[in-house]
Parts: sequence; C-alpha cells; structure tokens
Amino acid sequence: MPVGAPGSFASRTSLKRRAKLLFVWAFAASASIGAAQQTVSFTTDIRPVFESSCWKCHGGAIQLSKLDLRTRDAALKGGDKGAAIIPGKAEESRLYRLVAGIEKPAMPLDGKLTAGQISIIKDWINQGAPWDAISETTGSRPPASAQLAALEEMRISPEARSYWAFQKPVRSPMPVVSRDLTNPIDRFLEKARTDKGLKPAPRADRITLLRRAYMDLIGLPPTPAETADYLADRSPQAWEHLIDKLLASPHYGERWGRHWLDVARYADSNGFEHDYDRPDAWRYRDYVIRAFNKDIPYNTFLAEQIAGDELDRVTDDSMIATGFLRSYAKVGYREKDNPQFRYEYLDDMIGTLGRGVLGLTVNCARCHNHKFDPIAQKDYYQMQASLFGYVETDYPLASKEQAEAYAQKTAEIDGKIAPLRQKIRQIEEPYRSRLAQEKYKKYPANVQRAIAIPEEKRTPGEALLAGQVIRTTSVSSDEIDRAMSPEELAQKKGLNEQIRTLQSERPKPLPTAAIVTDGDYRFTPDGAGDEPAPGKGVKQEITEGSFLFKGPGRYQPPPSYFLIRGDPESRGSLMKPGFVSVITYGNPPVEDPPANGRTSGRRRALAEWLGSQENPLTARVAVNRIWSHHFGQGIVATLDNFGKMGEKPTHPELLDWLAVEFMSRGWSIKQMHRLMMTSEAYQMSSQYQDAGDAERDPDNQYLWRYRIQRLDAEIVRDAMMAASGALDLTMGGPPVFPHIPGEILRSMSEGIWRREEDGPRVWRRSVYVYRKRGLPFPMFEVFDLPDQNTSCGRRNVSTVPTQALTLLNDEFVLRQSKLFADRVKEAAAGDSAKVVDLAYRIALSRPPREDEAKLAAEFLQKRSLADFTHVLLNLNEFLYVR
Amino acid sequence: MANFWSRRDFLFQSGGGMSGLALAYLLNQEGLLGAAPEGGACDAKAVGYNPYAPRKPHFAPRATSVISLFMSGGVSHLDTFDPKPALQKYAGQPLSGKGEVVVRQGNPGPLMPSPFQFRKHGQCGMDVSEIFPLISQHVDEMAFLRSVYGKSNDHVQATYELNTGKIQMGLPSVGSWVTYGLGSENQSLPAFVVIYDHRGGPLGGPSNWSAGYMPAAYQATIFRSAGDPIIDLKPPAEVSPEQQRDRLDLLAKLNQMDLKNYPGSSELAARISSYELAYRMQGCAPEAVDVNSESEATRKLYGMDDKTTEPFARQCLMARRLVERGVRFVQLYHGGLGQQNRDTWDAHDDVKENHTRHAAEVDRPISALLTDLKARGLLDTTLVVWHGEFGRMPISQKGVGRDHNPGTMTMWMAGAKIKGGQIIGASDEFGYKAEQQPIAVHDLHATMLHLLGVDHTKLTYLFNGRNMRLTDVYGELIPQIVA
Repeated sequence: MPVGAPGSFASRTSLKRRAKLLFVWAFAASASIGAAQQTVSFTTDIRPVFESSCWKCHGGAIQLSKLDLRTRDAALKGGDKGAAIIPGKAEESRLYRLVAGIEKPAMPLDGKLTAGQISIIKDWINQGAPWDAISETTGSRPPASAQLAALEEMRISPEARSYWAFQKPVRSPMPVVSRDLTNPIDRFLEKARTDKGLKPAPRADRITLLRRAYMDLIGLPPTPAETADYLADRSPQAWEHLIDKLLASPHYGERWGRHWLDVARYADSNGFEHDYDRPDAWRYRDYVIRAFNKDIPYNTFLAEQIAGDELDRVTDDSMIATGFLRSYAKVGYREKDNPQFRYEYLDDMIGTLGRGVLGLTVNCARCHNHKFDPIAQKDYYQMQASLFGYVETDYPLASKEQAEAYAQKTAEIDGKIAPLRQKIRQIEEPYRSRLAQEKYKKYPANVQRAIAIPEEKRTPGEALLAGQVIRTTSVSSDEIDRAMSPEELAQKKGLNEQIRTLQSERPKPLPTAAIVTDGDYRFTPDGAGDEPAPGKGVKQEITEGSFLFKGPGRYQPPPSYFLIRGDPESRGSLMKPGFVSVITYGNPPVEDPPANGRTSGRRRALAEWLGSQENPLTARVAVNRIWSHHFGQGIVATLDNFGKMGEKPTHPELLDWLAVEFMSRGWSIKQMHRLMMTSEAYQMSSQYQDAGDAERDPDNQYLWRYRIQRLDAEIVRDAMMAASGALDLTMGGPPVFPHIPGEILRSMSEGIWRREEDGPRVWRRSVYVYRKRGLPFPMFEVFDLPDQNTSCGRRNVSTVPTQALTLLNDEFVLRQSKLFADRVKEAAAGDSAKVVDLAYRIALSRPPREDEAKLAAEFLQKRSLADFTHVLLNLNEFLYVR
Repeated sequence: MANFWSRRDFLFQSGGGMSGLALAYLLNQEGLLGAAPEGGACDAKAVGYNPYAPRKPHFAPRATSVISLFMSGGVSHLDTFDPKPALQKYAGQPLSGKGEVVVRQGNPGPLMPSPFQFRKHGQCGMDVSEIFPLISQHVDEMAFLRSVYGKSNDHVQATYELNTGKIQMGLPSVGSWVTYGLGSENQSLPAFVVIYDHRGGPLGGPSNWSAGYMPAAYQATIFRSAGDPIIDLKPPAEVSPEQQRDRLDLLAKLNQMDLKNYPGSSELAARISSYELAYRMQGCAPEAVDVNSESEATRKLYGMDDKTTEPFARQCLMARRLVERGVRFVQLYHGGLGQQNRDTWDAHDDVKENHTRHAAEVDRPISALLTDLKARGLLDTTLVVWHGEFGRMPISQKGVGRDHNPGTMTMWMAGAKIKGGQIIGASDEFGYKAEQQPIAVHDLHATMLHLLGVDHTKLTYLFNGRNMRLTDVYGELIPQIVA
C-alpha cells in the first residue's frame, strides 16, 4: 500500500501554487531593479530559472539536443540547433525565442515561464549575458540543506543486517532423525515434529493422492481412464511417473502460470474510468504459461520480464515478457496533463517487484524511511531510477524486413492522404464558420451578446464566455454536407473516394506485443484520451525526434530525483540507480548497458541483482511460494512479506535448504515440484486425527497432517466443465468472454465485455477468461478472486452464502450439470446403477460407497439425473483438494 | 479491547491454510459448533463459522446502521444548500483572487448565479433551494457540512475517494469496513447492500463497493430494485421449490456423511451451514424488499404512485425495510450510467434543467424516508448521509452549465441523534473552495465510524505487513457532529 500516495490533489496544487507565488514575489523584486536600468544578476535572477526549468534537460544529467546550459561557453557554443545565446541580441537568441514562444517548440516543454521571467532573460541577454557566478562545470546542485541531507541518508546498523531474511541462505546440515527418511524435506519436518512431540499422519490413499496431484499441478481432475491407468500401475515408481507426466502436461503452465499472474497483477484492461481494453495483453499471459511449461530458470524468467529488451539474446518472447512491468492499472486519460500518474505506475512496479520477488514492502519507503524494516527512502528512489527510463510501446512481432516494409508503405499512404484531407478542409472551411454562427443561437442571450461583441471590446467575463463557446463548437462533416452546393459536395465525395482507395491499400497491421523499453517518457505519443487540455501538457506535434533512442551514441535515461515525502514537486538530489542496500552483497553493477546502447542497462542490472545467488531473498521467496501452493501455507505464511511485520518461518532451516537447493538446481521450478511432491509430507493424509497433535499444534503449523484446500475460483469453473465434458482445452490466444447477466454489465462504466451467449465457444479454461479490472468475472469474484489492481501472493479464502447461491442457481452451473447428466446417461446406456457409478468416477475419481449408492438410487426414483449431477458439483469433496 | 479483532483476524489472516481444528477449537469456546442453524426465521442470529457474526463496537454507538444516499455525477452545492449572493453581484465577471481556476472541461467561464430561488426553512432558518420543497421541511433534523473537499475532479477517482478514502481503485469501501468491524444483526440477509439507479451503476462500477484486500465476504451485495433482489438468489423458473429442496437435502446428507471422515474440519462444516444460510436468504431477501406489502399511505408518502419519483422511492423504501431488518449498511445511488449529462447530476450542459429534473426524482422519496424512519423510531439508530462525489463550479460553462469542483461541496447528515439544524463549515464567498473548517473525506469517514461506536484509529486490517485503516493515518472527528 503506497503510504500517502498519490499525494493529495489539493495539497499538491496548493504546494505548486505556493511555489509560484514565491516566484512572482522574487521577480517583482528583481523586475523593479531591471526597470531602474540595473544590471541583471546571473546568480540571483537567472540561475534560479535555469535551475528549475532548463537544467533538467540541458544540465548535468542530460543534454537534450546536445545543448548544455550550465556554462556560458557551452551556452554560446549551443547544441544541435546552433548557439543558444547571442550576447546583446536577445531577439536573435534561440534561448529567448523559445522561452518567449516566438519559435517552436516553446520551452520549457513541461510548462511556461512567467512573463517576468521571460523579460528578465531578455534584459540579461541584451546586457551581454554576463555569467557572474562561479561556473557550474560540476553540474552539482547547490549544497543541500542539512535537513535534506539527513532525509536522504539512513545508516543501516549491523544488527539490522543480521535479521535472518537479510542474511544469505546457507545449506543447512541435514538433521538427524530416528526414522529412515530419504527425502531431506521429511527430515527437516520430522525434526520439528519430534521437538514438538507431534506424530505425522499416515500416507493418504492412492485415489486421494492422484486427485491431489492432478488438481495441484494441472488444475483438472483425472478422467476415469487416467484414474484406472494410475491404479493399474503398481510399480514403486508409479507416483514419480505420475508427477513427471503431469509436469510434462501443457496444462501445468495454465495452472502454475495463473499463480504468477496473480503476482504480476495481470489484466486485459486498464482500469479506472475508461478501463480501456489492452488488446495485446494476452500475449504476456501466454508467455507466462509457455515459460512455466518450458521450465525456464526462475532467474531468467525474471530477467525476461524486467529487461527482456536489454538481454544479450533478445527474442520475441523476451520482448513480450516485458509486458510484466506495464501490467499496472492505468488511468489512460490526460496522462500528459498529470505527470504524477507516472510516479504511481513506478510505485506499482516497485511494489510488485518488492513484494512479489523480494518479499519486502519496499514501496512503504516512498514517503519516508520504512517504519519497520531497514529500507531507506533513498533505496526506493534508487530503485525508481533503475526503472525510470521505461516507456510503453508496441513491438512488431515480425521480421525486421516486414516491419520496415510495413512502416514504409504506411508512411507512403499517409503522405498521399494528407494533401487530400487538406483539400477537403479548404472546401469545408466557409461552411464551417457559417454553420458555427447558427449554432451560437441556441445559447442564452448573454452568451450570444458576448460572441457578437468584437473580440477586443469584450470584458474579461465576456471573453471567457465567448471563448468557451467558440472554442468548443464543432460542426460535423455531415452537417456541412447538407449545406454544401452540389458541385462542392461532389468534389468532396471524389476526394473522399480517393482517400478510401488509398486506405484500402493499407497493409494488414502486423501483430504487436505491448512491451516496455527505455526511452524518453516526455515525448511518448498520446494514448486514447491523452490529448492535453488546451494550454496544458505537451503536445506531441511540437516535439521533435522520437521518444525511443535511435542513436548515435548511448542512451541516457531522463533524470529522476529523490522526492521529499513522495511528492513529485519536491525534489531532492538526482538519483543514481541502485537496489535495496540491506540485501545488497558485494558491489553489483547498477547499470549493464547492452552492446547496442539503445537502453541504459539499468533494468538489466536490476534483474541480474535479483536473480543472483548473492541475493538473500529471491530464491527464498520463490521456494516459499511453491511450497505454499503445494502445502496450503508457506514456511513463511506471509508470502509477500519476509520483513519484520511478516510471519516468522516455521522451518527456517528447511526454507534455507530449499532456497540453496533451488539455486543449485539452476532455479528449476519443476525440480522443486518433484522434490516437494515426492516427500512423505506431501503424501500425508488430511483425515488423520490425533488428540495430542491437535492440542499441541492446533493450527497444524508443523505439518502433522496434510491441509485441505478449497479450489481456486478458476479451478471451480474448470472442474465443473471437466466433469460435464464441455471443457475446450484449446490453449492460448485472445481472451474469451463468458456470459455475464445484463444487470451486472450495467453496473460498470464502459462496455468491453463482449456479449456472448453461454456456449462451447466460451467454455475454455478460466485462465483465458477476460480480466477486466473494473468488472471481475462474478463467479470468480464470489470465490475470492483477488483484487486485480495490485500484486497478490496469497488469496483469501472465505465461505459465504453467495457461493452456495452461485453453485445452486447460476444458469451456467445448471447447464453444466445437465451436460454432465447427458454425458453419463449416454455412456451408461440407461443402466441406472452404472449411471451413478460413472458420475461418481467422473466427479470424484472414485466409485460411490454403498450408502451413497443407496441414497442416489432413492433420489433418482423421484428426481432427474441432472438434479443428481448438480448435487455432485456442489459436494465438499468436489470443491476441496484433500 | 486487545482481543477485539483477534478471532476474526485469525480466521482470515490465515487464509487458505486455516486449520479446521484451530477453528473448531475457537468455535467450541463460544459454544457454537454443533448447534443447528435455526431454520426458517428471517431474523436468524449468527451460528457457526460466519464472517457476518455481530461484533461489539469499541464504545456505545449512536447508530447501528447507515443509509448512504449518493447523488452520482456531482450535485451542485451552489444550487441546493449553499447560496452565494456574491454570484449575483459579480455575475459575468471572471473568478479571481482564489488562486488557479482548475476546470475539468475546456476553459473557465465567468461567475454564474444560481438559476434557483432560495428560501429559509425550519426553526434554524436554513437556506434551501426551491428544487427541494419537501426535503427542506426536515432541515431541523439535518446537519449541513458546507466545507467538505475532495482530491480529484475526475468522477471515478472522486467517487472512489468518497467510498474508500482514496482515489485509487481496489480499496475496501466504507461499507466493507463497517461490516468487517461490526458484522450484521441479521444472518438471513447480507450485511452490506448497494442498490443502484435503474439507469445503471455509478461511474467506477463495482470497485465502489468492493472489499479491496479484505475477504470477498465484506463486499456489498447488489440488490436489484425489480425482480429477485439478488442475482442467482433463486433457481430459474423450471426448477421447482420441491426439486430444489430435494437437491439440498441430498447434498446435506452426502456432505454430512463425508464430514464424518473429517471431524476436525470446520471449513467443511462451515460450507454445509452456508447452504442453509443461502436457503434462508432465498426466502428472506425477497420478503425484505417487498415494497408492495407496504400500506397504500406509505407507498404514496414515498411517491411510488408517480412515475418521476417511483424508481428512487422504491430504492428508499427498500433501504428502510432493510435497515429495519438489521442490515448494517445500505447505499443508494441516484443517477447512473446512460448519458452522463442527462442521467446523472453531472450538469455541464444546463444546471437548471438537470438539477430541476433530478431534484424532482429524489425530493419526495428522501423526505419520506426521513419521515418514515422517524415515525418508526429508526431515525435515532440510523445514520443518513447525503452527498455527491464533488461540488460544482461557481463559474459557468457556456453560460448555463457548471463544471466539477472538488474544492468544496455540501453534504448533510441526519439521524444517529445528531443535532439538527446546524451548519458546519463554510465555503468562500463564491463557493469555490472550503474556507472555514475544511472537512476532508477521511474526517467524514472517521466521524461515520465514531457514530457507529467504532474508533477509526483502532479498526485495522493487516495487509502487506501494515495495519491498514479506512482513514489511513488521517481523520479528525467533526466535533459538532459527535458532540
């Protein structure tokens, strides 16, 4: 939870206003000096302006257009566009012309200087632009106040570093236990149990284990045939073979990829008011599924997601993987008018990496040093600097030649269309102004009066009123058509026809991935709804060049700063990239630029640090997640928080042993599954009762029996469709839109839920269901789908009557029950005993017991088979892995 | 106080790994396990594992339930409860001297007086616009807050702020906090109910009533104002009640047989009782919102007989019936998706036309709600809160409309033994910014919780290693309200 984020609109604007007031005051003073024909002082008059408005792009950190305004020499020499200052000639000096708006692009790009500031610059240049100050060659800002320095520095005590989670894990010695246990996991667990006087449960029966393995690894129940196969395999390796078979199944990635997608706060839409669709987001989801299936080493998996564009071997998949960074909820409206939004997105990235990868609430250090853990606010801003170059863009999934050909052809067509459009505008213009005049008549008398008064004679109030209406009155093309002379209309139609012909020659858009790479965010193209309000923000048209670095030389990320209390308006020092200091061992590079120089290599360095054996947390957090999904609770129960406020590990030596093992086995997740699932612990019964154990360890913290687990929301739906036989196991591709009742669709803002009928087209696995941030799929929501806006390591599990209502009455569930009934009816050819037997084998992987068969037979005297299968889908046994 | 939240925290913080045994132990402590759920009664008390079990407040509450009346789109304070003679005096002139004029759409216009007449009402002499002829009769029971300000001039973010205290998505709403803190008095109905406008939900959608990082159990249940109140409350028509009962009976038998193999697992026991609860809800929820069973006089009082007032009258009447039955938090939205400028209070185009129409839709129902709650003795135990997501601008849009203004808005509270007839805080002479006693949304939330007997600094939920609060690290009680 970003503390105090995103600042308050009110307080921030008032801060800004206060700053402006100070400026006005300062200039009132200096302007009066200027009026008295006194010399303008660089130090007192000019330098503050340069410092606040010019040096961020033409100073120590970067020199856009190769212009450096820190010294007089450099300013006279100028940059790509020539000299910035011609002493004595303000009107000819580029610096003055740009800040005064005489020439485009008006500078500074992110705002405008006050009239006072502009006039004092003019006077200063006319006076010869004297640089009376000590020259600023070092580019360092004036010495920070002691207070700021104190804010920015935090000493980490040796005691703080000695906290268990900040120490590198070491392979713990194998405990000596009395029983003969081959799997090291069991020896650690047995040791803890013996210490507590606990006795372990016996092994669960084979069918329970079979179901446990299927649900756990692929999220689907075994079919009756698969069950029979397994039961027939009496070899001692049957269990190992089963695990291998399931790990090789492509459905494994769908199940375990979904766990990671929770961490990655993946969704198919932006969120917030507009909740725009993200048409290519699914490619990242498919990447994750593929990565799990291929068992890509976990540290490589992280590197691809954080820096897939900067790796030595960049592939389509590694580019797609960077979609991870941009999976945050995004306002997607007036982004340029609200530069603070970007700080929220960065915070979300830092939060996700912190909690998801490091198990640390790094983002608590946004506004102040972390309250509980030794994480400095500076660590936060160094990590922000590591990510600060990021921009979102589309990446064509095509060969270089194809992409170039596409770009060329598109540019060619655009070039031909532009003059035709211009021509149309010329024809329309006279009609446009005439029709606008007509429209003014519908406004109240005072508005019409204000418009009628010549512009220069309007009072300030009338000017506002008239301006509002004139600026916002638009005349549509259709309205003009109706007013046009037949000749002109024919001419316009002809031109439009030509445009249409050209449009039809446009090549089919290339498939693209939504990626992240380095660039300059200030110049990124506007997204939907991003057009700045008049007079605000930066217009794309006036910027030059590209927001992506095309060379020559090396890319430099835009500067980022320490932000006092997290406020983007209150800058402290310029920040270098860096990591969380308390868990940084040795001296890892903070930049590792790729050979092509197009990106800074900061994200790459971050990924290397995260995925290094020197990092004490990454492996621990990863194995703990795997453990938690297998055993229903982590060794550290708070999967996302290994800090002081998190839970302590129940088995610290086991955790460390697993972490070391994980790294030494090449960060292979599949090997961890094999290791954990072949333990006796994983194969224990969950039915086991023991009064002594229950009293000594009522929470089952020390694993004296297996913990039962409710199916995850998606798996509830998948399992029902698996039972009914309706499940379409096609993998990947754009998301599907299962039916949502109209009443629910009406509760959300804008409709990007494709209204599809409930039917086979949408009966795909739930991992492929569209994730709309503003509208969680109702059936999933009822079964504890986590909030889709923040990283989630562990889902809540609640038991509420609305779950029962859904499973009892929802049309989808009833339809699946019916399909399930049809399926068994057909297979059993009307033999009612066989029908019940088969239905049990499908839903629960076992035949009915005698008493159950009897109840079923009685029930079927009175009620239909679909009534019966509906009951099966509601059973506790169906909804729990145990 | 130390153990105030501990049991429930324990249940949820431990999430999926909750051992049934631990739970069984706890429930046995309270003598709950094994007690059969009461059947049939619509005022059933909590039994067994239940996130809605009623919980003791921190101190004696002033009210036990809340009705929130949310005027979606942003109702204008200047045209309802905060008259500004200065707008008449300086009409047509630019707004100056109040700092930067921030508008949402286009460029600022000149100052515009209200198109409505204000008259003094009640013993307190409160000025109310002519568009509320009936609500104005209750001013002596209402406390007006004329200086509430928000952080965003964007509908969605502002609506989130009013509901959750923050402008981001995905945080628990005030109704969720209240339900989490206090549970519910009635186990046959949901604890937190939202009924939105017949034209559609408010901007921002379900995030406005979500439980955020809390368990899903604390999110609102949407009640529809027509047909079955809850989605999936009842099976489709082709399934008969007997058929449904037979299924439930078989399910209960099979689940009970299965439970014998897992005697220590109260999760499984909880699931079994959740089906009984669901079954009871099927009977009780439709009854709870059956406005047709009200007397003719009551129906008329609310305006059920007039098609202008009927939709919101129905929502208000449902709210009263729900509160009467022990539902903790009911939130009604007036104004919903459709065409923003027409179907909500978002009066960019024409404030006179827009507010005249919307006021006519809510005036009688809200007035009736206050009358009715009072007549039934419910007003003293119910907190009624009325507001939009922000106020509107004193300057015009094209001579007729008003843009968004988070700088100040007027809201009112009634019931909960709040001293009526008082005006708290003030906006500046144009109504552009809160001036005297500015009230932040966190202050409002702190005060609401206080009235319910909850200390906002002590109601916490552990998430991401931090004890989260509805009011974050902020929130001051509004002294005149809690006095």
